[in-house]
Amino acid sequence: MTRRYRDDPAAMQDGRNVNPGLGVLLGEGAQQQVKRVEEAFPAPGVTEVPPVHAVATAARPTYYGQPVLKAPVWIWTVPVYFYMEGLAGAAGALAGAVTLTGDEVLRPFVRRLRWVSVSCCAVSGGLLIADLGRPSRFLNMLRVFRPTSPMSMGAWMLAAISSFSGIAALLSDAPGALRRVGDAAGYAAAVVALPFTGYTAVLVNNTAVPVWQSTRRSLPFLFTASSMTSLSSLLQLTAHGAREQQIARRFGVAGRIAELVSSEAVERDARKVPEVARPLAEGRSGALWKAGKAMAVASLALSLLPARVKWARTASAVLGTAAALSTKLAVFQAGRVSSRNPHATFDMQRAGRGAAEVGHGSSNLVQLKVEGRLIPLDQAQGPTV
Amino acid sequence: MPATDPTPRKGFFTDTTVCIGCKACEVACKQWNQLPDDGFVFTGMSYDNTCHVGASTWRHVAFVERPIRLQGQTAGIGDFSWLFMSDVCKHCERAACLEACPTGAIIRTEFDSVYVQPDVCNGCGYCVAACPFGVIDRRKDDGRAWKCTLCYDRLKGDMQPACAKVCPTASITFGDQDELRSKAEQRLAELHGKGVTDAYLYGMDAENTPGTGRLNAFFLLVDRPEVYNLPPDPVVPTKKAHAAWQALAVAGLGMAAVALTAAFSVREASR
Repeated sequence: MTRRYRDDPAAMQDGRNVNPGLGVLLGEGAQQQVKRVEEAFPAPGVTEVPPVHAVATAARPTYYGQPVLKAPVWIWTVPVYFYMEGLAGAAGALAGAVTLTGDEVLRPFVRRLRWVSVSCCAVSGGLLIADLGRPSRFLNMLRVFRPTSPMSMGAWMLAAISSFSGIAALLSDAPGALRRVGDAAGYAAAVVALPFTGYTAVLVNNTAVPVWQSTRRSLPFLFTASSMTSLSSLLQLTAHGAREQQIARRFGVAGRIAELVSSEAVERDARKVPEVARPLAEGRSGALWKAGKAMAVASLALSLLPARVKWARTASAVLGTAAALSTKLAVFQAGRVSSRNPHATFDMQRAGRGAAEVGHGSSNLVQLKVEGRLIPLDQAQGPTV
Repeated sequence: MPATDPTPRKGFFTDTTVCIGCKACEVACKQWNQLPDDGFVFTGMSYDNTCHVGASTWRHVAFVERPIRLQGQTAGIGDFSWLFMSDVCKHCERAACLEACPTGAIIRTEFDSVYVQPDVCNGCGYCVAACPFGVIDRRKDDGRAWKCTLCYDRLKGDMQPACAKVCPTASITFGDQDELRSKAEQRLAELHGKGVTDAYLYGMDAENTPGTGRLNAFFLLVDRPEVYNLPPDPVVPTKKAHAAWQALAVAGLGMAAVALTAAFSVREASR
């Protein structure tokens, strides 16, 4: 029997050490599939030397500099999705506003915006499915409606806005009553678009990752504004009539200003705990963040030049797109870095920004170490200390 | 009230002061649950080459090796001490993974444990980022999220979880929450009586972990939580999400105002 077991490569390689000829796989973890044994070694960075700032000291202990949290497992398609779904949302919202003017001259613009919205939704869906560990089960996203999960809310909003924008786009030039149906769908899409455009900020805010959780009051503004910049840049790059250009430009200038203001607010929120703000200042995420801000400034400056200066318009649009992508990538990457820094989690909670922020904090927080001993704070304030 | 529950809440009380770091719990968990290998990796930083609980490792014994003396320590050469702690999913009262799960794959069982249904999970990975303890993880080659099930299969068969069953020093105790609490308080009083005043209970009640509520798997520790790689003040992210939703609402309305202004101002200007 031992020989046969040794000859069975599948049974040998998953490390379960269960001889299929003798045992059955019925355990709670028996379904877990293995391609490469090493894949499962938990949390990336375990075998790396922790960065200097993560190392433990007597005053700030860590477990050999190891992360407390698991790093997000999301791949590159997720930050690209942040950009794409933002485009879809902003296009849906602007299409609704332009439809409301009732101006027939702007009708082709409305149609184009609706198509931008629905095609970005389609790409978004693809990007999300590509990130799933089990892509064939993507429909399970609509299995429950769970308000505590921004991802569940996002899946429902994506389903709604793609349907509404799709109907609106198809019926843009339909005759009579059908066109009114299309417009109604367009307005519905615009309403859903308002929260949808920046909801991915809430999605990352609602995690244990320090830099994401700490920026929950500002990041939704940044993501919404950045999506407005993305859309106006896309519109400015493609040829339109003068009035359409003008609308896109005004929408974009407001978006760029809001983007710059809210990125400052994001930094201010993060800086309340220095370790939390670290990834926005250092490394690849810091470089992307700073590049995003610089390009947004340049894009804003160029978009303020007179509209007839074509090169400026194009340059502003290219920079605006790059700024939006760079900013969303930076936020994504900062979260990955932040989750691996144990001090970010510990410092934040010790500074009263854990549960203490939403009620009373843990009794662990009122412990002090005095001469190497753990002492409750109220006792430590006695005359002996 | 727990007393009136049809099925009493179950959980673990892990007394780290009697843990000898034998890793029998890790092995028993792997064996009973038929979990796959997760690679032989030499970390080079300590005797701990497991490092974390993860997708294929549902119990992990932390080895805290330090050049300091513990309270009341008299044996040994020089300033040197070990602390061991068998870490596991906490099965929180307010479980971040469960609240984040968009598919409903993560459920609360009749034993008050938190269970991931592998036939429903689509591997979105949201629970991984949501867990404030860094417990649940996604295995790349499997694609789904996995974590301790509190041996759901064994509980249904009226048996205790494999790790508690095998623990040779009764560092891991399994039982009804009420029972565990009185056991833990008794042990704490005993230690305090012996002069180990550093000892305290981590996660036994909502006073200690208000952000996640009571932890169904709670611990007796003798140093700050950080030493064991536990967060000092964990919080379920959902408790803070309302601020983000509010910001989003204002941002969305702002965008609507800008869109309307842009659309209508240009129309008027051109007429």
